Amino acid sequence: MSFEPKKQPYRGKINAVTLGTGDKAVVIGGQNVLPFYTFDAPIEHAPKIGVEISDLASEWKSAGLSEFYAGCTTMVDYAKKAETMEGADFLCLHFESADPNGVNRSVADCVADAKAVADAVSMPIVIMGCKNIEKDGELFSKIAEALQGKNILVLSARSEDYKTVGASVALAYGQKVGAETADDINLAKQLNIMLKGLTVSPESIVMNVGTAAVGYGYEYVASTLDRVRLAALDQSDADLQMPIMAPVSPDSWSVKESTASAEDEPAWGDQEERAIGMEVATASADLTGGADAVIMRHPAAVATIKKFINELV
Amino acid sequence: MALKGLDIFKLSPKKNCKECGSPTCMAFCMKVAQGAISIDKCPYFSDDAKAMLNEATAPAMKTITFGKDHKLGGETVMFRHEKTLVNKNLYSVPVSTSMTEAEVDKKLADMAKVDYERIGERMYVETIFVRNEGTDAAAYAALAQKALATGRDLILECWDVECAKAALAAVKDSKPILDGATPANWEAMNEVAKENGVVLGVWAENISDLYDTVKKLEAAGNKNLVLDVTGKTGKETLANAVLVRRTAIKDGDRSFGYPSIVNLSKICGGDMHLETAYAAMFTEKYASIIVLDNMTYAQALPLYGLRQNIFTDPQKPMKVESKIYPLNGADENSPCALTVDFALTYFLVSGELERSNQPVNLIITDASGMSVLTAWAAGKFSSTSVKKTFADLDIENKIKNRTLIIPGKVAVMKGEIAEKLPGWNVVVGPTEAVQLPKYMKDKEYEAAAAAAAAEAAAKAASAPKEEVKELSFEELLATKVPAIEKVDMGVKYKGYNPESKTFVTIGERIHCISPVIRKAMDERDPAPILKRAAEQIAAGATYLDVNIGPAEKDGPERMMWAVKLLQENFDNVPLALDTANKKAIEAGIKVYNRTNGKPIVNSADAGSRISYIDLAAANDAICIALCSADGIAKDNEERMKHCHNMLERGMSLGMDATDLWFDPLFLVVKGMQDKQMDVLNAIKMFADEGLKSTGGLSNNSNGAPKTLRPIMDSALVAMAMMQGLTSAIVNPCDLRLMETIKSCDIFKNHVLYSDSYLEL
Repeated sequence: MSFEPKKQPYRGKINAVTLGTGDKAVVIGGQNVLPFYTFDAPIEHAPKIGVEISDLASEWKSAGLSEFYAGCTTMVDYAKKAETMEGADFLCLHFESADPNGVNRSVADCVADAKAVADAVSMPIVIMGCKNIEKDGELFSKIAEALQGKNILVLSARSEDYKTVGASVALAYGQKVGAETADDINLAKQLNIMLKGLTVSPESIVMNVGTAAVGYGYEYVASTLDRVRLAALDQSDADLQMPIMAPVSPDSWSVKESTASAEDEPAWGDQEERAIGMEVATASADLTGGADAVIMRHPAAVATIKKFINELV
Repeated sequence: MALKGLDIFKLSPKKNCKECGSPTCMAFCMKVAQGAISIDKCPYFSDDAKAMLNEATAPAMKTITFGKDHKLGGETVMFRHEKTLVNKNLYSVPVSTSMTEAEVDKKLADMAKVDYERIGERMYVETIFVRNEGTDAAAYAALAQKALATGRDLILECWDVECAKAALAAVKDSKPILDGATPANWEAMNEVAKENGVVLGVWAENISDLYDTVKKLEAAGNKNLVLDVTGKTGKETLANAVLVRRTAIKDGDRSFGYPSIVNLSKICGGDMHLETAYAAMFTEKYASIIVLDNMTYAQALPLYGLRQNIFTDPQKPMKVESKIYPLNGADENSPCALTVDFALTYFLVSGELERSNQPVNLIITDASGMSVLTAWAAGKFSSTSVKKTFADLDIENKIKNRTLIIPGKVAVMKGEIAEKLPGWNVVVGPTEAVQLPKYMKDKEYEAAAAAAAAEAAAKAASAPKEEVKELSFEELLATKVPAIEKVDMGVKYKGYNPESKTFVTIGERIHCISPVIRKAMDERDPAPILKRAAEQIAAGATYLDVNIGPAEKDGPERMMWAVKLLQENFDNVPLALDTANKKAIEAGIKVYNRTNGKPIVNSADAGSRISYIDLAAANDAICIALCSADGIAKDNEERMKHCHNMLERGMSLGMDATDLWFDPLFLVVKGMQDKQMDVLNAIKMFADEGLKSTGGLSNNSNGAPKTLRPIMDSALVAMAMMQGLTSAIVNPCDLRLMETIKSCDIFKNHVLYSDSYLEL
């Protein structure tokens, strides 16, 4: 009696969501098997990688990043350069400086940057805010308006602001909207239901179900990803069949393993290699759990994860 | 191999005849499972049943032991949330006979550099993967010996029989894995492995050949195997790893029920970053040994961190070590900040403190891995536990600064801590970690510390220290318990017959977590307590729970006052005495009137609170017995084990089995939805043994909207009563819940039906 592997495709299927327009548009989601389980069924759309560009990118302390973006001063410079990064599928504009408790850059300035980038690049655009609910609400609405027709994704609507963000971004301006929750599968489902209740179509929703760098309570992220994916595929739960986008870089670049200098931790060796390691391992773990797209920063990490994905699908 | 007690129970005679010396068949089966008693002690177990047991309860995946004390496999689930993962994977780096001596030396020296501790776990490369790529047996044996000299355990990858023999002759005492069997050589390699008593690794070109080879080895009597599932590509390797695990766990085919080896040095072409990516994937799915070309800190820091997270038991919180963590270059003159040992709390607090750039000594106190408020409510984070930490860590002598910042959430502990730690200026910090950087930068604690110091000095000056003498309960009662004033609340307690089968509701609303009640207890103000008692009695509560908080200082007089207050005003309403202070419970029982039933001790567990059973036994009280030890039981096997430990303890102390009310621990739906049926099934098991049960039922709906909670609680109580639940700790003012309970008592034929049954 020889071994016959049993196939296990599911009835449930992840929604396929298109971002961007034209030749460079990307589709995320669409599969009916667990991540990279090609032995069960083919993966229709390989997971995608977004390159993070922050409006505080000039403060990044990484030789590799400084070298890659050498000569870039404006967000447009960064974005055009990022488009050339090996493995990049889309761009993520991170408006950290809008934070009222930080630089407190004006919404108008941020919108002008977003507009300028959108005019200069052809890759799909994802917008990340500054985590301040009020500021983000205004920022997201204005950027969604200014970039109408570009089919962008705005990260994210949360349970505190899904009404305003959902209504403006998705309904008024026809963009895609992210639904963000923190390692809570029940809340993830509830938020999708509430967005649908606003008449946002399921095909306009992408989820961020929680992030952490590996080593930092990552077990909650891993189990949330496992459970969300199983609910979507095994139980055919239509309220959890939205594709998942995981912002990897903001967490993986801010933990001690990535920020401690070689002087602080002499045994640990090269700081940049550590940051790349954290980013690669976190992205891989997210993709293994069920992320359909990851947002990353370092060219070496992006190239590695692209190779990893290509080998596996 | 370990048998499951519950599986044995299914095949047991279920006579509860006690001839084996155990109180019930279930108790007997639990002991058999633990190896504490032989199954032959039962005269009624059939031979067929015994044979079936051996066959049916062999685990789906074997646990393989090798090296010094490394365990691989033994997994029972596909995903960690289903139960838990058992044995963490190990990492390995390769040396080979094709490398020069210098290359081997460098590889081993580099490997040894990674050796550090993270949250109580040593992080290092546990194994060396020793590859043979030639036919020079002496050279291979020498290489194995050299690798062994590093003190790490070995995996010998060797397909040449003579080389394998030579290497094993040199290193077999270290119990390496011989990763050497292939479809071509399996017979000879099997002999070598068996002769040397080592684990045999099996590899084949494809998964089908791998399966056939395992079958042949099993037929030849070898089940001490690991499977090298490395394929030609990463894609094929993932398929192999998943299919092997899935075939064993989900399809129950034990020929794939062995741990896996994944060798990334064969499929990543020396690309270190790619190896990190694959290693992260195979740490989650499903390799037991992962071989990487090298292990640098850039790989180790993320991978070991990930592994530590993934292999954390979801039922047991991750704890950090109780010690002083000097942050931002803190020394003995820097202020101290205190928090609990829950790993997430530690990461959050230490991260924010580091962001402040202010030197501070973070002191972590043992709180059983609970968060600040949970630990406080459970009595695990108290002035006594803090004092113990200060003594254990010798903080008095190690630190000169006398400012101690405590979490804002436990501001209530300030006075008690100050009393237990004379000389320290206790300051209440912010309630949320995110507020710490500003708090530290602005040095907000300095003024508060000065004020605390002044306060302490004034106190010392005004009140010369008086000798504190421990008073007897009688003396306390006479001197410290205010007289009870009778207040007519217009409510009469309905009376309770302990022999009746009707469901017992224990009203939960007199609880110190409520600020109103806490204040009333502190000030011995009867009004708010009487009001809540009257509401609950009017709503039909059988018992009232009296939670006086940790009450470390004045527990006995507090409890005596509360018991007298409630019983004298409400016709001797029966009470559950609820506090971590055992003396307080004892004092409460001293003044307790038993007209309407025994007092209830709330509560014992199978861990650190097991002695509450002794307390109940000594005072002829009922005892609520939580079926948990440290953290939530991971399955009913564990729940029933705890149940029987406590049952035996109680009975050996002369308690009636029915005076132990077992609490399965109701779990919150938002978070533990997939464990709800386990809890309900545990109740059925209690009932099947004639045991009583209770529990904080409304925990199931914690965090759900207010409008939903009565609906969820009612549905759950109906299901639980169907399973045999005899009591619950509830809010009796929830009308829907109380009506459901009364209706269930009708269907269970505990109360004779009448049209007015709801009003009774």
